[in-house]
Amino acid sequence: MNCERLQEQIPEALSGRLDQAAREALVDHLEGCAACRAQVADLNAAWRVFDKLDAALEGSLQPTPDATAKARFQEMLAAYQAGMAAARPTPQPQVLAFPGRTAWRIALAAGLLLGGILCGRYLGPNSGAAPDELAQLRTQVEGLRQTVALSMLQQQSPLARMRGVSYSEQIPQPDTQLLDALLDAVQHDSNVNVRLSAVDALQKFAAGPGVIRSLSDALAAQDSPLVQIALIDLLVQLEARSAAPTIARLSRDSAADEMVRQRAAWALHKLEGTK
Amino acid sequence: MQDEQLMREVREGAIEKLEILFERHQPAVLRYFLYLTSNRALSDDLAQEVFFRVLKYRRSYQPAAAFRPWLFQIARNVHVDDLNRRKPEVELSEEALSQETTRISSAAIAADRAVQKAEEVQLLRRALAALPGDKREVLVMSRLLEWKYEEIASALQCEVGTVKVRVYRALRELSERFFSLSKEKAS
Repeated sequence: MNCERLQEQIPEALSGRLDQAAREALVDHLEGCAACRAQVADLNAAWRVFDKLDAALEGSLQPTPDATAKARFQEMLAAYQAGMAAARPTPQPQVLAFPGRTAWRIALAAGLLLGGILCGRYLGPNSGAAPDELAQLRTQVEGLRQTVALSMLQQQSPLARMRGVSYSEQIPQPDTQLLDALLDAVQHDSNVNVRLSAVDALQKFAAGPGVIRSLSDALAAQDSPLVQIALIDLLVQLEARSAAPTIARLSRDSAADEMVRQRAAWALHKLEGTK
Repeated sequence: MQDEQLMREVREGAIEKLEILFERHQPAVLRYFLYLTSNRALSDDLAQEVFFRVLKYRRSYQPAAAFRPWLFQIARNVHVDDLNRRKPEVELSEEALSQETTRISSAAIAADRAVQKAEEVQLLRRALAALPGDKREVLVMSRLLEWKYEEIASALQCEVGTVKVRVYRALRELSERFFSLSKEKAS
């Protein structure tokens, strides 16, 4: 047997995973090869020290998660469930029930009053301006939402910024400033989870001006493999053939993560298929 | 219930089932990071991050795929992201390594009063920390987590033959570093 092929089997032999035939062939070879015997001896010595390392670590580790880790996990799970519940659209009630709480009663009364005023204005004799004013009102509400989203995206806490990204997704047509903020989050946010959430959010707004180009630029500048893969997937989903040169460079970049290179090669294949 | 069935249910929205997977796999994920970083507090944080990402990206889990390799693909990405984030401080400082080793080796010494054993463990930890990340990772999976080569191949998305070669090369380099450190210490 060739020495190099044999030496590659040493770790399996040391861990007892080598099948009988291979083990016998190895033993036969070792009997006649002093260099391989020396190699086995060295590797075996290092291999055995691992047992001691493992035993030392076992002293500081439990077979189940410790109470602190479990509490942190449960807290995260509860926060996530709460977030999911908040993001879920509220089902419309079949029958309009009068609210029980005083605050809601006041709000409802105010809403009815405002509705009455608007109806009076728009359905009255001078109702010609109604569509414009209603549109203006909608624009103002939309603007308010965008301001809130922008403000959340600028928070210190990554969790708050992630909420800002989720909030942005609920805006049907974000303005350029909000789109820029989301693209900026993809490119520059220090937290990987915020970057990933922003990539998800931009999926909805890909038709916006320059979004595909910005996503492609973000891919070129990205250092997180997870975000790179998310961007590649999104560009494929958007059939962004203009991003092919960037993806091709990434597929050849020896410094990139192996999974990213493979994903980039796959993406190129998919984009070629969309021509 | 099997891991894969639980993960399929998590994927479909029963996210509370993730707690069972956390109970089963958090210790292995924690060990993985502990072997790679030698830092308990950081490893705790990274292990939490892994399960957060499992939750966030649950829909990317392929229902027919084995759960553990998928979980450790996420763990690998978390580790890579952490390395990129902390590039300037990523090399283990002598002081940090020494403190960690003292803490761990104290347990070993207390357990069996074998000072020599603790010294060897310290040298091995130094040799392991000095290995390139990809080699350290494949050794951790193969030797310390005792994964089969097929599982490692699945987590690293490469061929089984490639894993075999990588494990051998990593062990050889580790062995060279370990004996070189041993000689330094002896002299």
